[in-house]
Amino acid sequence: MEFEAQENQGNNSIQGVINLQPQVNQVQAQQQEITIKQADLHVSSTLEESVAVTFLRDLRQIGVKLRCVLVPTMSSNNAKELRNWDLWGPLVFCLMLAFTLSVSGNNNDGTGIFATIFVLIWIGSFVVTLNAQLLGGKVSFFQSVCVLGYCVFPINLGALFTLFFSFFYLKMFLVIGCFLWSTYSAVGFMKLLIPEQKRILALYPVILFYLFLSWFALIV
Amino acid sequence: MQNYGSNNDLDEKGQVMTDQPKIKVKFEPKPKPSACPICTIEYYQKFFDIEQRDVYMRVRCSLLSWKPEFQQCVAKNPDLWGPLWISTTIIFILFAGGNLSRFLLEEDKKHFQYEYNYMYVAVFLVYAMAFVIPIILGFIMKYILKSELGVFDVVCMYGYSLSVYIFVLILCIIPYNEAQWFFLMSGLANSTIFLLVNLWDFMKKSKPTLMIAIPIIVFNVALILCFKFYFFRLIYAVDD
Repeated sequence: MEFEAQENQGNNSIQGVINLQPQVNQVQAQQQEITIKQADLHVSSTLEESVAVTFLRDLRQIGVKLRCVLVPTMSSNNAKELRNWDLWGPLVFCLMLAFTLSVSGNNNDGTGIFATIFVLIWIGSFVVTLNAQLLGGKVSFFQSVCVLGYCVFPINLGALFTLFFSFFYLKMFLVIGCFLWSTYSAVGFMKLLIPEQKRILALYPVILFYLFLSWFALIV
Repeated sequence: MQNYGSNNDLDEKGQVMTDQPKIKVKFEPKPKPSACPICTIEYYQKFFDIEQRDVYMRVRCSLLSWKPEFQQCVAKNPDLWGPLWISTTIIFILFAGGNLSRFLLEEDKKHFQYEYNYMYVAVFLVYAMAFVIPIILGFIMKYILKSELGVFDVVCMYGYSLSVYIFVLILCIIPYNEAQWFFLMSGLANSTIFLLVNLWDFMKKSKPTLMIAIPIIVFNVALILCFKFYFFRLIYAVDD
């Protein structure tokens, strides 16, 4: 421990700087050791279970987070759940949306659309999150990408509906409804993290992102 | 475990010392200097230091383009939010509106083929106009023509000059040739006048600086020609 100080004669105090970095490093190393030992126990127990059990557990976690994100009740449980971000859910919904839109009958460029949607979702989430961070929002990068990915689920539903219905005004009504649902959920999450005067600046890109995706779901 | 910074230490006789020297502890993590300052987030954070009211004022300045007030609006705080999201909005309008305009003209609506290439061309065109051209122009102005305006000031100005096209391109969905030319021409006039009026202080200094007006006008004209002849081209069915 290094301690540099100077005595302050006036009010009998010593002012100085203590470098506790070595101690902090030691404690962190000990904590990491404990975490690794716990993870070892966890890993060995999950290595022995069957694939179906692992699969179902992951699906259940995706389902739980989906309900947290999409049913817009701002409880503290929701916030805690969302802090354990994962990128499986967004990947599943992104692939589902890209696949649905590329096999729909109206177009002759399925692979192009698949690639476009895939790239659009990931780059779009990345840019929207970066925008929120640059505006000074206290938003963790992957948590935000995770929530934006989960909020793509209503647009997924919209794309599936448009596969089965052919009446245009019904499709338009459904897709608009799904767009509003997605946007409302994503905005509900993001607006808590941005200061008041910059809120619209951070939320407009989110709206544009889901507008792009909904437009694709409608026209394909 | 020793209690650092506690005020309840024991003296030699084992009694609690009440009157003790107070130790103020301050941690100062040293920031690491980065190898590539332009690659860090912190470098760009200063370009997003604006509020929604500022963006509204800047867009308003650009729509009322004949008043040379933009530098006052910006007040030495150029932003990148405006150029980025205005150009992305224009890309969406070109992609959706261009195809919608073709759809409205199409007779055989059931077999309408959506043209996805509009998106890729729009991305290339609009981001080139909003970022590549002003960066090159800004470098020329700053390092060859010795202007006080930085590169990011020019990028900011170009970005906001495109804001009029948001309204113009929505109106261009109307599938009438004359209407589209009228809207595009007024957009061109507004955008070019905005750039020239706000750079006039710099341009009137000497002949070389006046020459900078030529590439500005040329690129703006090229932009609306691309808009008209690629995105909003009207192919009427020929009656035999």
